[in-house]
Parts: sequence; C-alpha cells; structure tokens
Amino acid sequence: MNLDKVISGFFIILAMTINFGFFYGDIDSLETHSKYELFAAIIINLIATTLKLGDKTQMGSVLLATSLVADIQLIAAAIIWGVAAYAYTIDREIASIIISLSGGALLANITSVALYVGETIKSKR
Amino acid sequence: MIVQNSSLWIVFHKMRMPFIVIILTYTISITGLLIIEGVDSNGNPYHMSIFDAFYFITYTATTIGFGETPYEFTYAQRLWVSFCVYLTVIGWFYGVGALISLLQNKMFLHEISRVRFKRQVKAIRKKYIILLGYNYITSEIIKRLLDADIRAVVIEKDEERVNSLILESYTPTVPVLLDNVHSPKSLEAAGISRLNCKAVVSLFNNDALNLRIGIVSKLLNKNITLAVKATHPKSVNNLNDINAEIIVNPFVTIANELKMAIQSPHLLKLEKWLYQIDTLDAHMPKLPIGRYIVCGFGRMGQSIYRTLKDEKEVDLFFIERNKKKLDGLSERELQNFIVADADDKEVLEQAGVKEAVAIVAFTNNDTVNISILATARKLNSSILTLAREDEMDDVSIFSNAQMNYLFMPSKIIINKITNALINPLADQFARCIMEKDEAWAMHLVKDLLQKIDNAPLLYEMTINEQEAPEVINFLEKSELMLSIFQVSLHNRHQHNNVIPLLLLRSDDTIVLPHWNMPIRQDDKILFACDAYAQNDIEYIAQNPYEFYYALTGEEKTIFKQRLFK
Repeated sequence: MNLDKVISGFFIILAMTINFGFFYGDIDSLETHSKYELFAAIIINLIATTLKLGDKTQMGSVLLATSLVADIQLIAAAIIWGVAAYAYTIDREIASIIISLSGGALLANITSVALYVGETIKSKR
Repeated sequence: MIVQNSSLWIVFHKMRMPFIVIILTYTISITGLLIIEGVDSNGNPYHMSIFDAFYFITYTATTIGFGETPYEFTYAQRLWVSFCVYLTVIGWFYGVGALISLLQNKMFLHEISRVRFKRQVKAIRKKYIILLGYNYITSEIIKRLLDADIRAVVIEKDEERVNSLILESYTPTVPVLLDNVHSPKSLEAAGISRLNCKAVVSLFNNDALNLRIGIVSKLLNKNITLAVKATHPKSVNNLNDINAEIIVNPFVTIANELKMAIQSPHLLKLEKWLYQIDTLDAHMPKLPIGRYIVCGFGRMGQSIYRTLKDEKEVDLFFIERNKKKLDGLSERELQNFIVADADDKEVLEQAGVKEAVAIVAFTNNDTVNISILATARKLNSSILTLAREDEMDDVSIFSNAQMNYLFMPSKIIINKITNALINPLADQFARCIMEKDEAWAMHLVKDLLQKIDNAPLLYEMTINEQEAPEVINFLEKSELMLSIFQVSLHNRHQHNNVIPLLLLRSDDTIVLPHWNMPIRQDDKILFACDAYAQNDIEYIAQNPYEFYYALTGEEKTIFKQRLFK
C-alpha cells in the first residue's frame, strides 16, 4: 500500500465530493447552500492542490492546473459572498453567481478526478 | 516528457508539507472560532461568521493585534485564541524555515548550477571538447585547447576540484558540471550530441571506468572522437572494439621511446618535434648497447619487456619485489629476473650493475626510484640513469638527482592527447613513421633542417569547399598536382620552404608524397613549412587571383577577364 497515493487520492476525491455537496441545490437561492460547506470545500481544495505540487510529469502538471482552476472559482465565490453580505445585499443574482462559480469548480474537480482515475487504471501496480 | 527546468518543481515538492501545515493551522483556528459560542453587546449568544473568523485569524497569525471583533470575546473564546496564536505562528515559522533551508539545500543549488552549466554549453558556438575529471593533466590539456581556439567543457564529481577549476579563471570560460562522469545524463547535459562537440577525453587511472565512459559516449553519439587512457592490453583491445580513435597507453609509449632512443634516435627526435616537445636540433645522444637493468615489473616494466625482449642490442634484466607479478613467465625467461628490493646494494651487484650500461628505475614510487639510481651510481659511476617521475610537483625532487633521462607518463599523456585532438594529421603521421628505420629518419631530419629550419610549423589542410575553394573549382574541370602548393607567390619560379609529410585519402595513406602526385577532393595534407610558406599555401587555396598566378605565372585582372568575354 502506497500511503502517499492514499493521502493524495483521498484529498482529490474529497475535494470533488464536498464541492458537489455545496453546489447541489437551488441555483438562485442560498438557503440550500451552506456557507460552512463552501468553507470546507475551499480548505480541502487548497490541500489537494498542495499535494499536487512538485510532480513534474505531464500528468502531474495537468492535475495541478485543474486544481488551480477549482481553487480560483471557489475562492471567487467566497469573496463575492463576503462582499455582498457585508457591503451590499444578497439577492437572487448574487446567489446565482456564487452557485455558478462553485459549479465551475465542480467541473474542474470532476476533470481532475477523471484524470486521476485514468492514470490509476493505466498504471500496472 | 520531463519538464526542462527542475528548480521550480523542487521548490514546490519540498514546500508541500509546510503549505499543508499552514492551511491546516488556519482551518483549525477558524473552525474553532466558528464553533465556540460568543456573546454580543446585548448579552445574546451568537456564533462568529466565517469571514469574521478568517479576518481575525489573519491578523492574529501574523502577530498583529487589532483587538477583539466584532464583539468582546468570552473567556472560552479567549482561551481558544491563545491556543490559535501559538498554533498559527508555529505553522508559519515552520513554513518559512523550510523555505530558507531549501534555498541552502545542496540538491537545489546543484540543480541551479546544472541549469547554468547547460546554458553555458548551449552558448558555445565553436568546436569544443568534453573532458571528464579535472587534474593536472586535464588542466594542461585545457590550456592547450584554449590556445588552439578550441573550447573545453568539464565534468567532475569532486567538489574541491570543481572549485579549483573555477578559481583557475580560464579565458574563455570553461563550463564545469559537478556530477557523475559516467552518467549518460551528465554527458547529455554537456552536449555530447551537439554538432560542434568534437571529442570526449577520459584519462582516469581506472581502465574499466574509461571503457565504460567510452561505451556510453559512443552510444550517445557514434561520431564522437574518443580520447581514452588505457594501461592494460585487454583494455586497449576493448577500446579498439568500440572504435575509440585515440588510445593512450603511457607505458607502451615510454617503452617505444626507449626502443627508438636505442635503435633510431632520429625517429625519436622527429616524434618529439611532432609533439612540440623539442626542436629538430636538440641534443639526442644514442643510448648504448648492452645490459639494461630494469627495476619494477608492473605495467611499465611489462611494456618494456614486451617491446624490447627480442631486440639484440639490449640485454634486459629485471628486479621486481612482488613475486606474483612474474606469473606467466617461462623458466627460461625467469633467468633474467630477481625477486627482491631493487635499492639493495647486493641485489644490484647480483643483477650485474658493474657491467651494465644503463639502469632503469620505473617503479611507481618516486622516492624508491631515486634511491635505486643513487645506489647504482655509487657502484658504477659511468652507468646511465633513466627514471620515471609520476608526481608533477612544481619543484621536482628529480631535478637535483641528475638523471640522464627522465620519463614522465603525465607529460606523455598531455602531449599525445592534445596533439591528437588539435593536430590529427600530425598524430597520424607520427604513427605511420613508427616502422621506419634510423636512416630514413636521419634523412628526413636533415631535409627539414636544410629546407625549413629547426622548428618547422605543421600545417594541416583538407581539400574541401571551405578550406580550398579555388582548388575545388579547378578540380571540376582539370587535374591538379600537389606542387601547386610549393609555388612562391613572390616569384612563381621559386619554391617556398615546405615539405609535404602526409597525404591522407579515404582509400590510401601516403607518407612523404611526391610533389607530382595529383590531388583529389577531400584529400587531407600535412605540410611542414615556415610561416611565410603557410601564408602562401592558404592564399593559393582560397584566393582566385593568387591561385591563378601560382597556376599560370600570369596576373589575373578584371580587365582581361572582361576582354575575353
């Protein structure tokens, strides 16, 4: 058993699943999207990104790229939420932007997991 | 596909754990603040928002204090914050510390220097040669290469030697890579596959290592010229099998020099001139005929035995301390051997030192060699003393010992390698004349002294579009004799001071070619000449007007050209 693989695989897949957990729900209302879940999604995605650093193979570079995309979208969603909550009012438009950004992050995470699984299937051990 | 520049990836790889630690410390701190219940200004319980918690931890983690926000903390919150301060500060301290130690990390610095080395190699436009290992011998080779306008690149695995090379401050700069010398990766980094990389030089004392480097080099670039040192006959055969072009065995060379000094001193004189060691009028006494006592039967002594044992001028007698080295010799052969320490007076007498004409101290220990010769001279004051010197110190302990002849394997390697790399035709000529006799050599030396001077220049020319465009043009429509290069441009009816030594063709090798020989494209010609003649030869080969004059004796003018059209 390769512990490094277990840890990195754990965080990569966890990042996707938490991302989905936050994204799932009404597209125009934040009532069904927990802010704590977004917080957790950002943290887990940052950890997953960090675990991909330093792998200079072609596959490692692509995985890192997808992870950075997810990070940017989730952090942007959090920033918009914070700004709207403390400086403006949250309406349906703001809510849909936040949820859409997390949807984009989810797609990036799905791509990342697909690449990861593909590489795993290809490997011989 | 490997990313070219590895330095950045090393930083990322090493900084993984610090980044994880910082993220986790922030997460724990923020989560704690979210969970712990606080009290607002009206005394009502509330939970801190994510942003408030993030904001507070951000300035707390950097040890900046902006007070408790948004409301005054309860004691439960303050307890947690106290813990958070230490947690996040330790996290940052760990992260920054890791980054600093990384920048001083040898692996990182090694990668940085490798990148710089690759950039330096890539910037070389001229011909260059890869030298493996840095020591006195390779440093002398580097100096001669740079003098000949050939660049050098070095791979060395010992850091102190790398530093001493850098301190030497060669001009132009000699790139040096601190790495394994036999690794394909380091040879690739040195650009072994590039067009302007001409040769690899490997002169380690370990024959197996030299052979391994030779094999790897030929695999990476089968056109590369190999210059390798080998001291065992088996190693020489293996190197020949992989087409190593230049194989230097200093012991065989010394044995051959000894043979020439006895039988053909003028041949030895020619060789020394070719290697630019001596001039043609240097004093070169003939070694006497008779008994030679040789001390030491290692690689040197064995080479002498193989080279001279069948020569009638020499009666060889050997003294060797290690009996095992005499394995393989027949009973009859063993009659000329004594197993003993050679610096012992009685042993020397037993070997016939009183009647011997020469004693050869060729062990690998300089002190022992001196001791042997001093003892021998006491017993026979007229004996000729020949010694081998291994160490190349600035002050030679041999200089005060008054040797008749001193053989230096190191100097021989330097001369052989540099000559073969810089003047390949001269090296070829030196090998061709090995079979000639003393009369032939004497005649050639006399010719060179009379026609040129005591230190003729060696000039190598190839009949190709680059070096001899006028000759190539003319050969397309007519035949041309070698004598075209003999013409003096000052007066066509006179000859310059030049002697052709060698003409190398793909299908033939001609020593001392006659002036009447027709030349062909791609012929390689070695001339001995003076500076004036070399200048004329280059003009004739490259300048249309000078070529025309040399050919016809008439001035070629633009006016005449137009008139004929």
